[in-house]
Amino acid sequence: MKTAIKGVMLAVTAALTLGIAGYSQGDAGIAMAKTTTHARAASKAKSTAVVKLQETGSTLLFPLFQLWAPAYRKVAPSVELTPNGTGSGVGIAQASAGVVQIGASDAYMSNEQLMKSPGMLNIPMAISAQQIMYKIPGVPAKDHLHLTGNVIAQIFLGKIGYWNAPQIQDLNKGIKLPHMAITPIHRHDGSGDTFLFTQFMTDTNAQWAKTVMYGTSVSWPTVRGALDAVGNQGVVQVAERTPGSIAYVGISWLNKALSGGMGEAMLQNRAGHFLLPTEQTIAAAAKVMIGATPKDERISLIYAPGANSYPIINYEYAIINEKQSGATTAAAVKSLLLWAISPMGGNKQSFMSQVHFLPLPPSIYPLSKAQIDEIHA
Amino acid sequence: MRRSRLWGRLFYGVTGFSAAMPLLVLLVIGGVLFYDAYPAWRFQGFSFFTGIDWNMGNMYANGPMTQNGVQAAPGASFGILPFIVGTLGSSLIALLLGVPVAVLTAFALVYRVPSRVAAVLSPLIELLAGIPSVVYGLWALAVLAPFVEFQLGPWLATLGHVVPYLAGPVGTGLGMLTSGLVLGVMIVPIIAATTRDLLLQVPRLPMEGALALGMTPAECLRFIALPYIRRGLFGAIILGWGRALGETMAVLMISGNADNYTPPNLYSPISTMASTIATLLDSALTDFSGMAVHALALIAVTLLIITMLTNLFARLMMQLGSRDIGVEVS
Repeated sequence: MKTAIKGVMLAVTAALTLGIAGYSQGDAGIAMAKTTTHARAASKAKSTAVVKLQETGSTLLFPLFQLWAPAYRKVAPSVELTPNGTGSGVGIAQASAGVVQIGASDAYMSNEQLMKSPGMLNIPMAISAQQIMYKIPGVPAKDHLHLTGNVIAQIFLGKIGYWNAPQIQDLNKGIKLPHMAITPIHRHDGSGDTFLFTQFMTDTNAQWAKTVMYGTSVSWPTVRGALDAVGNQGVVQVAERTPGSIAYVGISWLNKALSGGMGEAMLQNRAGHFLLPTEQTIAAAAKVMIGATPKDERISLIYAPGANSYPIINYEYAIINEKQSGATTAAAVKSLLLWAISPMGGNKQSFMSQVHFLPLPPSIYPLSKAQIDEIHA
Repeated sequence: MRRSRLWGRLFYGVTGFSAAMPLLVLLVIGGVLFYDAYPAWRFQGFSFFTGIDWNMGNMYANGPMTQNGVQAAPGASFGILPFIVGTLGSSLIALLLGVPVAVLTAFALVYRVPSRVAAVLSPLIELLAGIPSVVYGLWALAVLAPFVEFQLGPWLATLGHVVPYLAGPVGTGLGMLTSGLVLGVMIVPIIAATTRDLLLQVPRLPMEGALALGMTPAECLRFIALPYIRRGLFGAIILGWGRALGETMAVLMISGNADNYTPPNLYSPISTMASTIATLLDSALTDFSGMAVHALALIAVTLLIITMLTNLFARLMMQLGSRDIGVEVS
């Protein structure tokens, strides 16, 4: 009875979140419809001997899985991968419940979640990053504002209210900043981007670490005029039309935000240098953190040491139950994941650059392979 | 002979089942929701409705906290007063603006517009009800919000010293006023269509008599038509209100989604109950204690009860309205 109720709840949940995902990622939604019809046509042709794998979760990872699905069909014609963009929380919940084989999440599972569902693996698929963006009329886009995590935290805590506050002006000596109220914009929905941003805040501001802390959804400090938006698309839309705004935006939305007149901040890393997220600075940060990555690969890559390390990067995870429902399914999941993390397969630059991710560093491969080897029937 | 009896029984069975379906569905949904919401009620108690602090707690903490015998993530606190205020506030603004427009539209359709034109306009109004709410949301984000920010808001704010709640700052145009305006547009079709049907029931004779006595069209509406349909109209308004209460997507896009405060003025960002459930569900699923999902279920129960009450009330009023045909003459 209890499982039945849970099943109903999950179905409702999935339907609801799918609705949101569809709205926040219009193009992706259309593309998803295309893939499913494509998959259906293929399954009609030979309905037997096909292993069906369901993927659901992170809307950030969803476009990547969409690229992978048809590509992997050519590698392994007997495996039919159906991706769904529903949200990281749904990905973790449905993978844990055994409803799907592959969950996708921007955030790794917490210790407590793992205690509730032992045997769940968190396997990195790619590396993503996040940038801080702002809209200040009169400050040209090429003048990237210098900001520190501590100053951003004070803005989001409501302690710094104007763009020409001395804390910000001191970091940007050459730029004339206007006396304009700052409008912080946060994600209202649960989001991997919120997870990254609040981890960065926690690492750089003591008060934040004590009060707000981090998670995919936090209780935001009350700041007069602050706005919430839903989805990265919503954040960009709202930030663009709000002079004085500051927001955190996933790297895949960088170009869209820049073309809408937003500025991109240079962030101070642990070594004290101000950096933009580029392939070099993201790779540098990832490289430094490999040594620290534990066997279960659950680790925050935020605020990495190293002179050239960009401070907000993360692993994008596939959430897998190590015990799969049958030998064929287990084998199919294993070979799919091994292909996905291989630089010749799913981690090819041509896939990654399309969705603005970075491939996994080669040295992480043995750790992930060891985890994938644990999958069994 | 036998065969027809079998068919008869089958027919009874199928129709009986179909007739019971709505009730069964309602019972199942209600049952699941109540079952799922109960732990949150135990955890938070009545402060669920009066608290302003919504915090799902630290989901990456090691170990849950226990309160009133149930577990939640440390720091968790579920107060939904801001969501209740946002839901009621925006829907009441919608009624304030939508009802007069809808009633006058219906009046025009029935009495003022030539019947050929009305035959074209009536379906158009019903068509308005079919526009997906996400389209209303996009329109509001692109057109209405800037209008509120730069024109309507500043103008209303000048009345601030008369009605303090109207005082600025106007903000960005994303908030209660814009949400209410959009909801107002969205409920016009449903109220207008129902009112039109009610007005069609008003007998011609008193109306013509009133005109013959020299009443203006406005007086005809005020003294003949409105008293006649009063109760039914009330029901129609409540139906529209129910629509505004449950609307999710359009409000989600333009409400500004406030956290942890009740709106200090008319333009302030708000969150509604429906939009909160939709946006926070994904995160709630990562709560290892499961309490966040229970809390969302309790919001759903609250919303369900409010909408059911308004709907029942509306049905009752409609029934009374159609029975009450006699026009008072004194």
